[in-house]
Amino acid sequence: MRRIRPAAAVIALTLILTTAACSSGSSGSTAGAEAGQPVSGGSLTWAVETEPITFNPHQYAQAKARLLVWNTFEALLTHDSRGGHLPWLSTGHEVSADGKIYTFKLRTDVSFSDGTKFDAAAVKANVDQFLVEGYNPTVLAVQLRNLDRVEVVDPATVAFHLKQPDVLLLDFLSSPQGAQVSPKSLKEAKNLKAGGPELAGTGPFILDRYTAGQEVHFTRNPAYNWAPANAGHTGPAYLDEITYRFLKESSVRVGALTSGQVQVIEGVPATDEALITANRQLSLQRGLNSGSAYSYYLNTAHAPFDDLRVRQAFREAVDVEAVLTGVYRGSATRAWSVIGPTSPFYDSTLEKTYSGDTAKANRLLDEAGWTARDAEGFRTKDGKRLTVRLVQSAPFVRDRRDVLAQAVQAAVKQSAGIDLNVALVDQGTATKALADGEYEVFDNSRADTDAGAALNLLLHSGGAINRTGLKDPALDKLLEEGQASGDQAKRLAAYQQVQKLVITDQALILPLYAPADQVASATTVGGLSFEPTAGVPGSAYNVWLSK
Amino acid sequence: MITAIARRVASGAIVLWAAATAAYLALLAAPGDIVDAIIGDGADTPQIRSQIIAEWNLDRPAIVQYLDYLLRAAQGDLGRSYLLQRPVRDVIGEQILPTLKLAVAAAVFGVVLALILAVTTRHRWVRRVSSTAELIIVSTPPFLIGIVLLSVFSFRFGLFPVSGDRGWAGLVLPAITLGLPIAGVLAQVLRDGLDRALDEPFAVTARARGLRERAVLVRHALRHALMPAVTLLGWLSGVLIGGVVIIEQVFGRPGLGQVTLQAVGNGDMPVVLAVVVFAAAAFVLINTAADLAYLLIDPRLRRS
Repeated sequence: MRRIRPAAAVIALTLILTTAACSSGSSGSTAGAEAGQPVSGGSLTWAVETEPITFNPHQYAQAKARLLVWNTFEALLTHDSRGGHLPWLSTGHEVSADGKIYTFKLRTDVSFSDGTKFDAAAVKANVDQFLVEGYNPTVLAVQLRNLDRVEVVDPATVAFHLKQPDVLLLDFLSSPQGAQVSPKSLKEAKNLKAGGPELAGTGPFILDRYTAGQEVHFTRNPAYNWAPANAGHTGPAYLDEITYRFLKESSVRVGALTSGQVQVIEGVPATDEALITANRQLSLQRGLNSGSAYSYYLNTAHAPFDDLRVRQAFREAVDVEAVLTGVYRGSATRAWSVIGPTSPFYDSTLEKTYSGDTAKANRLLDEAGWTARDAEGFRTKDGKRLTVRLVQSAPFVRDRRDVLAQAVQAAVKQSAGIDLNVALVDQGTATKALADGEYEVFDNSRADTDAGAALNLLLHSGGAINRTGLKDPALDKLLEEGQASGDQAKRLAAYQQVQKLVITDQALILPLYAPADQVASATTVGGLSFEPTAGVPGSAYNVWLSK
Repeated sequence: MITAIARRVASGAIVLWAAATAAYLALLAAPGDIVDAIIGDGADTPQIRSQIIAEWNLDRPAIVQYLDYLLRAAQGDLGRSYLLQRPVRDVIGEQILPTLKLAVAAAVFGVVLALILAVTTRHRWVRRVSSTAELIIVSTPPFLIGIVLLSVFSFRFGLFPVSGDRGWAGLVLPAITLGLPIAGVLAQVLRDGLDRALDEPFAVTARARGLRERAVLVRHALRHALMPAVTLLGWLSGVLIGGVVIIEQVFGRPGLGQVTLQAVGNGDMPVVLAVVVFAAAAFVLINTAADLAYLLIDPRLRRS
């Protein structure tokens, strides 16, 4: 959603004035420290930035909606904090020697909130739903592309037969799209793809009321007793009820929190962080997201980025540190690889190996033949200006990425005479530019929990979002190895080579920052946390409100 | 009388059809197709595309889709939202009431405030202060007015809740935010009208009959001053429809503005078309109301 930015300064000022009275001293406290021991009961109001397009977990496509999904729905597996998986609705799983059959033992004490029993037939019904034409073609084409069939071995055992080994099946089975919806709901819901109160899950809360444009309300599921081992406690959730209110304006969310109208907010922009940290009644937490870093992908399909030296020069021309500080006031974490720094596959040896060397940038461009300068100071070759185009689709611009692009634009112009042409356009125009190859820079970040899933889409020559034009059989082979192997060490080795190839050897990508989520809350709220691996705000299961 | 009504209804229907068609053509001419819009920034393969085309019957020629749309719309079927995967009638239906509440409250507040301002601020310095304040309000973005009102009355003093459509308290600040610019413009127009009316011979006659200045103002001049203000009703509907988009966003209120913003941003054609038709219908209704208001205000028009 676009915000009206010039007003931001005025808003911040107004908020500072109106909250100045109650802000003194510093915080430095962590959430929960002042909320004491967990207590049961109470109702919480939480203001979130994004209203989900759908409440059906199978249709999940917004990382910002993830915290709502896990209140109502659960999956066979969940992520631990080291890139592995823990049993959730399952009790364990085995992989056949050829890596093509995954057999899961299921919990037998679980029921959906509509009374339906959770068993192997329910798991099969959920996966089979994806085979329905038009239900979710993306999941069918990406996450389930190697799935052959699902077999009900007995009520407590289910087997996934694959066409070829694919360890990303485990990631799917711990993702919202792999969450379990009551088979009864799948059959009877009138608006199945939209979801909402008519879809029953097994989770610790029940979604009982949704007012579009305003709020969604959950009540505690009293029968709940199957939390995974890393959930923080067992038995039903602490809160009686929780309301998530949709407040799209960040300044309004902050104001609602400082005035006590809500107890928790998600999405605190860098410009408002000082308001939170200066207030002793509030605390702020930040979590780095999983998946791929927010990066610029350089299009090698045509000039000028078909020349490795120009790609390297573009990267050297940007002092990423300075640009990030200017735009995010020190609240952004710099990225050095296409993989986010919290991923187990992240290669930290890439840090400080490139970028910010203006002299090198200019030398490389001279070597590449871009020696002349035009009246505006941009480099030219054969009378053509060194122009590269970045097309941003306005509905998907977030985290002030348009402002960041302007900062990069200024940096490459000043330090190396490169003309970065930034266009902020509607979705249709952006898609057309990408389809026609009318771009040299493509920006993207993905919140996949397994970074390998993001790399497959972005870097594989057959990837659905491959915008670099690079078709390298060696790279494809490495990505396929990373996807096929169940051995974490082998995967790590494959993905480290991928990173070396695309970052160091090919200079294909300029990584900028690691996307993060911020949660601010009143100090009376305890148990707020970020989901392991995913790094996004967790569900409300472990949250309590001190009396 | 009956022919007049029939003519009204027919011209209203033509306006609705023209609005729907214009919106349809505009969406068709916009870059990128519906499949692009549905895919968004997600994965994009031929397999995914063909499934989307099959699901929404997008392989038919544009003219067939258009005629099919018109035929169904005429029967009250507005289709399904590409984005929200629900019937458009449900999407619009559940959002219409909060928007109507806001629009009516804002219009009433704006008109009443304008009348009070125009009648009470007749004297030199009060008039100048009021007129300046009106101009400032009219030239301030509603977004900013909303944030300032929220900061003072909700965040600072806690008098009104920040968000939602829950009771009258939640309606006060949004209605004031949307109504203030309306009051600003109307007050200026009314004041000019009063000035002109008070210079007319009938005002002199009324004064000569011994009527007090206030009675001349309220009973005689105001009626004349209202005529140009009523002409602005069409403009008012535009302000209300455009204003709710921003107001609902700032105040986290449910309503058509939010739905429209999301639908336009995501190329959700069935919802956009439905909103356009609804806005056109509102426009026709308000203009009909304006025509009736002329008759009510000016007895001379009733005779002709």
